[in-house]
Amino acid sequence: MNVNTVFHRALVLLAAALLAGPALGQKAFVDVGKQPPITIVTPSAPWYPAFEKTVDLYEQQTGNKVKLDVTPFVGILEKMRNAVRSGQSPYDLLMINSPNTVEFYEGGFLTPLKQIDPSFDVPKEVFSYGDSGYWNAQKRWRTANGGQLMAYTPLGNVQLLHYRGDVFKQAGIAPPKTWQDVLAACTKLSDPPKMYGFVARGERGNGIRYDWHSVLMAEGGDVARNAEAGDFTVIINSPQAKNALDLYIELMKKCAPPNYGSLGQGDVIQLLSTGKAAMADVVVAATASFDDPAKSTVVGKVDTVPLPAGRNGGHGAAIGNWNTAVPKNLPDAQKKAALAFSRWFLSYEAQRAFAENGGIPNRSDVYTSDLAKQPRFRWFPAYLETQKFAAQDLGYAEGSQIDQILGLHLNQALIGEMSSGKALNTAAREIEELFRKNGRKTGMLPPLPE
Amino acid sequence: MSTVATTMPITGAGNAALGGGHVRWIGVACLALAVLAVLGPFAWILTASFKYQIAIYSGEWPFTPTLSNYADVLLGRRSDFTANVVNSLVVASVSTALVLVVGTLAAYSLHRFRWPTWVSAGFLAWTLIFHMIPVMTLIGPWYVAFRELGLYDTRTALVLTHVTINLPMTVWLMRAFFREIPPEIEEAALVDGCRPLQAFRRVTLPLVIPGLIAAGILAFIFSWNEFPVALSLTSRELATVPVAIARFAQQYEIQHGQMAAASIISTIPAVLLMALGQRFIVRGLTLGAVK
Amino acid sequence: MTTQGSRLRGNDAPRMDFLNRTFRHWSLLPAVLLFALLTLYPTINLARMSVSTIEFTQGAEAWTFTPLRNVALLRADALIPPAVRNTLVFVIAAVSIEMVLGLALALLVAGVTRGKGLIRTVMILPILVPPVAIGSMWKLLYNYDFGVFNQALVAVGLPPANWLGSTTLAMWSVVAVDVWHWVPFVFLILFAAVEALPVDVLEAARVDGATPGQVLRRVTLPLLKPAIVVALLFRTILAFKVFDEVYLLTSGGPGTSTELITLHLYKIFFEQNQLGYGALLSLVLIAAILAFLLVGRQATRAVRLA
Repeated sequence: MNVNTVFHRALVLLAAALLAGPALGQKAFVDVGKQPPITIVTPSAPWYPAFEKTVDLYEQQTGNKVKLDVTPFVGILEKMRNAVRSGQSPYDLLMINSPNTVEFYEGGFLTPLKQIDPSFDVPKEVFSYGDSGYWNAQKRWRTANGGQLMAYTPLGNVQLLHYRGDVFKQAGIAPPKTWQDVLAACTKLSDPPKMYGFVARGERGNGIRYDWHSVLMAEGGDVARNAEAGDFTVIINSPQAKNALDLYIELMKKCAPPNYGSLGQGDVIQLLSTGKAAMADVVVAATASFDDPAKSTVVGKVDTVPLPAGRNGGHGAAIGNWNTAVPKNLPDAQKKAALAFSRWFLSYEAQRAFAENGGIPNRSDVYTSDLAKQPRFRWFPAYLETQKFAAQDLGYAEGSQIDQILGLHLNQALIGEMSSGKALNTAAREIEELFRKNGRKTGMLPPLPE
Repeated sequence: MSTVATTMPITGAGNAALGGGHVRWIGVACLALAVLAVLGPFAWILTASFKYQIAIYSGEWPFTPTLSNYADVLLGRRSDFTANVVNSLVVASVSTALVLVVGTLAAYSLHRFRWPTWVSAGFLAWTLIFHMIPVMTLIGPWYVAFRELGLYDTRTALVLTHVTINLPMTVWLMRAFFREIPPEIEEAALVDGCRPLQAFRRVTLPLVIPGLIAAGILAFIFSWNEFPVALSLTSRELATVPVAIARFAQQYEIQHGQMAAASIISTIPAVLLMALGQRFIVRGLTLGAVK
Repeated sequence: MTTQGSRLRGNDAPRMDFLNRTFRHWSLLPAVLLFALLTLYPTINLARMSVSTIEFTQGAEAWTFTPLRNVALLRADALIPPAVRNTLVFVIAAVSIEMVLGLALALLVAGVTRGKGLIRTVMILPILVPPVAIGSMWKLLYNYDFGVFNQALVAVGLPPANWLGSTTLAMWSVVAVDVWHWVPFVFLILFAAVEALPVDVLEAARVDGATPGQVLRRVTLPLLKPAIVVALLFRTILAFKVFDEVYLLTSGGPGTSTELITLHLYKIFFEQNQLGYGALLSLVLIAAILAFLLVGRQATRAVRLA
């Protein structure tokens, strides 16, 4: 071995060290200090791999350990309930799906984040997602107005209208802006069984209820008149709601496959991925899969716009977000460690990394960054636009029951078991009884013609 | 009659039960049909495990096979599948062995010895009624109890709960098989000077081998596939196979390819263990049998 | 040798004697003890819950004694009648088909000369697959646009069927899945019973000149009765408790056509977190199963007497 080779090798090593050094000793996005290991219960979801990679980054940068107890979606609620109801919680951070947040807030199972550290704040660039992370105990309502900060959103799912850009261009139709546009476009493009103009969920339960709720909002309807102010008068059987339901049924009957009464989100995604749907109501969490050749035959052909507006120009999109909160039954050191991670995760750099790893960021500055120029993030503008009018759907303790009442009757109207008027009237009666039993100030509208 | 006896060797009572001739061919045809009906969907799951998601979605045939599902299940970062299989094997084997021993003894005791009605009928009724309770209502108390005992997230907790869940069926099943034995056989053994324990071990038990195999297989399968208790009483490291498979059923869609691959992988150890278990029971018991 | 042997026997004898004398006790005790330890608390808890309302405030459970309120909830629940109706239809249809097929298969396989073990292993494959996988896979098989069944129908020129989306067809699609899943259960038990039949009794019957049909009806079936009863009993209870497959296939829809008691219970107890009423509903389920079993037993007795 002569001097030249040794010198050569040393040079290579030096170069490598210089290049690798910054990566190895990468400065943490947020300096959170040394923290004990924490455990986060996480649902098994399409964005989980992205979350895991981002958490790895946290571990590398800060040296703090994070364990992810990835749990099937059907089981995570039960596990969290068990965790908070007895002894010391095995989890330091919970991930609560929006419909279940009220249960945890009202049950007193969580520690308000500012109680752990008064200086903790959710950065203003982070979307509020309808204030689902705040709890006003007096009003029994999720609002930042007089509410305590209980949770932040690691993953905010909304639905976007996904459509086949290529099909629309070929037919010379502009992307729809109102639900009437959707109806017009879908009747034109429908060619069953090769192509269905529009697909959304019709299956009984949360499926049809969630998808329909955005149409209800767009048409200016709601379940209770002003729940935040304590007025729980049931308005689900209003003329606006009937318009929304009739419109939805018409869309499904004219443009969706014949088994519209049992379509779930999986079916909708399947139809769009296999090229059989021209438009579909899909959650943004699934958008990336349409560009994956292992999962779709329409790579690069699916574009997105915000959910359309109703006949009076109103927009509606129901938010389905996860909420990260800290359980009460933990020692202080653990709570602080949980908060430290949260601070890191909510930073711009972390959210940007999360997006690059395949997740859905929660900060507006990521959406307006240079990432938006990349073709894989072409859904960014639609998402950003949606945040302007997206709202929480059923923010009260009775939410789950109302979801099931509506989910049943909407489905019954869809499959023709009863008229839309009767479905809404029946639902209204049951919801009103529910509110009354729970001591809410409630009433009903005059019934719709059946 | 004698032609039948010589042309069809009597293997077990089945032949005697069925009879012979052309009826036999119809029987074979029906059996073949049944096997196809059983294997059909199973074969579908097998092919799905080698397909990309899009091929599953579009029901593509023929399709380009891929090993990516198996790679994802066995080697993926999110997946601790091999650990899950080990957990399931341990829990299922131990709980099956335990429930067979405890359950068979109890069934024999109730069948053979005269117990006051409130004991025998009471125990049997209680096990049956407990069997009717939906498992989801039991999880809360069990979680609390095991956490108090410091047994949360242990295989012990799972084994104990699985034994409890499978005990009713094991006891009732073994009792049915014990009842099939003509009492004269046991009487004869006792008259011959056999003590009760010996009579049980050497005479009765070998006669219920088929029952033990059936009860053992069922207990194993129910333990192997048990989901709600395993979900609530374990965390990631000790999760069992059904919990791992449920991870592929996500909030909005199901990852069918990986789920199929995981299902196929999970049947292999189960089948192997059951085949071995059958042979073990048969061999272990016929060794001491006295006819 | 003899000294050693007798020394061993000598030491062993008192212990063996003790074990033999107390055999009757220690054979039953482990089961009772284990079962008592693990079932008392949950059962008592269930009973208590069914007459209470449980709320959570400030991180703690608050129990109030409200038996009448729970009963009122039960009476006002509009989904109970269709749930009970559908459950009964499901149980009767699924269990009868499974019993008949299981018995037929057990007899058929028992008549096979070679490869019994292999066929048994093949026949029990369906129960090896976890229920969640069964539900998801069959949902794909039943898929309207891409499922194998509809592809086959279309290939022979028939219109595709709306397996899971038609109120009339959905229940039968679900029953079919259950049959595929559980016939192996019945088969396993009855096959073991057939194998354990005393050969000489059957031979005697045949030598006496009985036809195969008569052997079957007069000798085989009565001898199989204990096993048939157990298989029927447990299959019925399990059918009442079916959940995973239906949840994944239809979630109780379309409309209420596949709404079962267990699905409704899941929604009440678990999704809506109404623990008290949910516990009452579980007791109703148990009562329904008991009633069904008793009625069944009376009916078979009446048929036999008639």
